[in-house]
Amino acid sequence: MAVLEAFRLTKSFFDGKEEVPVLKEISLHLERGEVVGLEGPSGSGKTTLLFILGCLLSPTSGRVVIEGREADPNRLPELRRTSIGLVFQHFHLFSALTALENVEYAMNIKGMGGAAARREAERILEVVEMSDRRGARPRDLSGGQKQRVAIARALVGHAAIILADEPTASIDARLAGQILELFGRLARDENRAVLIVSHDPKVRGVADRIIRMQDGQLLD
Amino acid sequence: MVDLATKILLDDKTRFLTTVSGVAFAVMLVIVQVGIFLGMLESASITIDRMDADLWVCAKNTPNIDFANTFPELYVHRVRSIPGVLQADNLIVWFVTVALPNGAKEAAIVYGLEDFPRWRFPWDVVSGDPADLRRGRYVFVDDSAERRFGTFEEGEYREFLGLRLKIIGRTRQARSFTTNPIAFLDYRVAQALAPLDLRRRTTYIIVKLEPGADVEAIRAEIRRRLPYNDVRTKQEWADRSRGYWVENTGLGLSMFVTVFLGCLVGVVVVAQTSYTATIEHFKEFATVKAIGGCNADIYRIIARQATISALVGFSIGAAMAHAVRPLLAGLDLKLIIHPTLVGNVFVGAVALCLGASLISFRKIAGLDPAVVFRS
Ligand SMILES: Nc1ncnc2c1ncn2[C@@H]1O[C@H](COP(=O)(O)OP(=O)(O)OP(=O)(O)O)[C@@H](O)[C@H]1O
Ligand SMILES: [Mg+2]
Repeated sequence: MAVLEAFRLTKSFFDGKEEVPVLKEISLHLERGEVVGLEGPSGSGKTTLLFILGCLLSPTSGRVVIEGREADPNRLPELRRTSIGLVFQHFHLFSALTALENVEYAMNIKGMGGAAARREAERILEVVEMSDRRGARPRDLSGGQKQRVAIARALVGHAAIILADEPTASIDARLAGQILELFGRLARDENRAVLIVSHDPKVRGVADRIIRMQDGQLLD
Repeated sequence: MVDLATKILLDDKTRFLTTVSGVAFAVMLVIVQVGIFLGMLESASITIDRMDADLWVCAKNTPNIDFANTFPELYVHRVRSIPGVLQADNLIVWFVTVALPNGAKEAAIVYGLEDFPRWRFPWDVVSGDPADLRRGRYVFVDDSAERRFGTFEEGEYREFLGLRLKIIGRTRQARSFTTNPIAFLDYRVAQALAPLDLRRRTTYIIVKLEPGADVEAIRAEIRRRLPYNDVRTKQEWADRSRGYWVENTGLGLSMFVTVFLGCLVGVVVVAQTSYTATIEHFKEFATVKAIGGCNADIYRIIARQATISALVGFSIGAAMAHAVRPLLAGLDLKLIIHPTLVGNVFVGAVALCLGASLISFRKIAGLDPAVVFRS
């Protein structure tokens, strides 16, 4: 069964009185264990779609079902906590926390605390090769390092669905390859569903399928 | 657990200092103001508190210990004969003017008793033996008189209402609410000071009961025998004397206003800094939501920050209040910092800081993470 299903999603923003449709009748599904790439030109609505799938935003119409649970507006926070790991285009790390604390705090929010949370956070930082910078604050990290911490943070808590917005945009090719490989492993070994928004051709290397978007619609 | 609240709070040290000093200032203001108030009030009833008496018989409607009125001194026999009364004596409290060596006149209050040691009064003797007072025209004068009367020595004479009395001892802490120093002298000498008013008359009868005696029964019996007097327990009489000054001088109101202003200053500073901090950390709070946190998680962060500010501010404010105590003592102001007062201020500081952070809560409730991330 699909871990995430979206039926006929539309989303419009209002520019003054004028209604601007950004998503038009989008239906898709994600299965556990697969990596899906989402491509499309800038402004086509990828981030908007990702936010709706990630329960950050309600669609104007249509439904999202996550692990069999309907994503009603009042259940979004709960679904975010239990099922979703989000990697933002602009990282959004906590500037007052170190790399390790950023990851550990996400575990705290998801209900894990104490020494176990710290150990798990350390383990995840190792996965993204950030162990040696675990004590640094975001302002002392490079873009690629911040990206890796942001990915680490999305991985905590066994979220069944990982949604990543341009996760390789600010890291070098070698590391990008490793990160994508990591997403592939997460999908296969940990049986998660991974959706990667990216222009990076390397995504095609790990993705089980590619969805293409244009003007708020899926192509094919 | 990662303490995001504290980390964010301490990330901006300047703002934290502003908040904390706002709280500290308010806390200090309230503690000092109430402490001075309590310090002044203490002297309004200190002689009642220290006199070893259980009941006080007063002239009808006497408003406080200083404004005494007279009644026949023979009434004391009617009290002494009541079973359960261990001892009862007349006590004269009287305003007098004292002629100073430089020709000026000052006011003092005299307490006249036949047997001072029996009532363990005065309670804080610096020098001299109160038992000697009954031997004639002698007087004990309180140290606080030096401020008004100039220095004085034992063996010197002062003129009280035209009567020359020899100073044979000194006491401490004995002064009235109006800061008049208290002098202690023999009951008969007190009567001699104001023969028109006090001849064969007294102003109070102080009563000590036998251990285990029924206070209410004896009080009722005194009332029956002296229907034109009031009979008060030590506590009631002390409360009445203090209450008089609170209600009749605007002192209570002035204290209330200062406390209110102190709280207001604290609340405004905390509300202001908490609100701007919340706005500045909007993205981070949105992130908390985005990674699965709910409004309650963010409220908890803000509430925790408010509580920490309250705790630190309170500690500094309370410490400052203790630090100014010796300074105020130098100005002859007694500051009483009672644990109950400190406890109440503590609870108040935390409650008000939490209240002040409520205005940030409203902002959070409408926080839409998706909007925040569009940049
Ligand atoms: N809150 C909003 N209000 C108004 N218009 C919006 C809002 N959010 C998105 N849009 C519009 O929706 C369209 C799609 O935006 P979106 O960010 O989803 O595109 P994208 O495919 O992620 O682009 P990019 O590749 O540049 O990140 C854009 O035209 C954008 O201006
Ligand atoms: Mg985008």
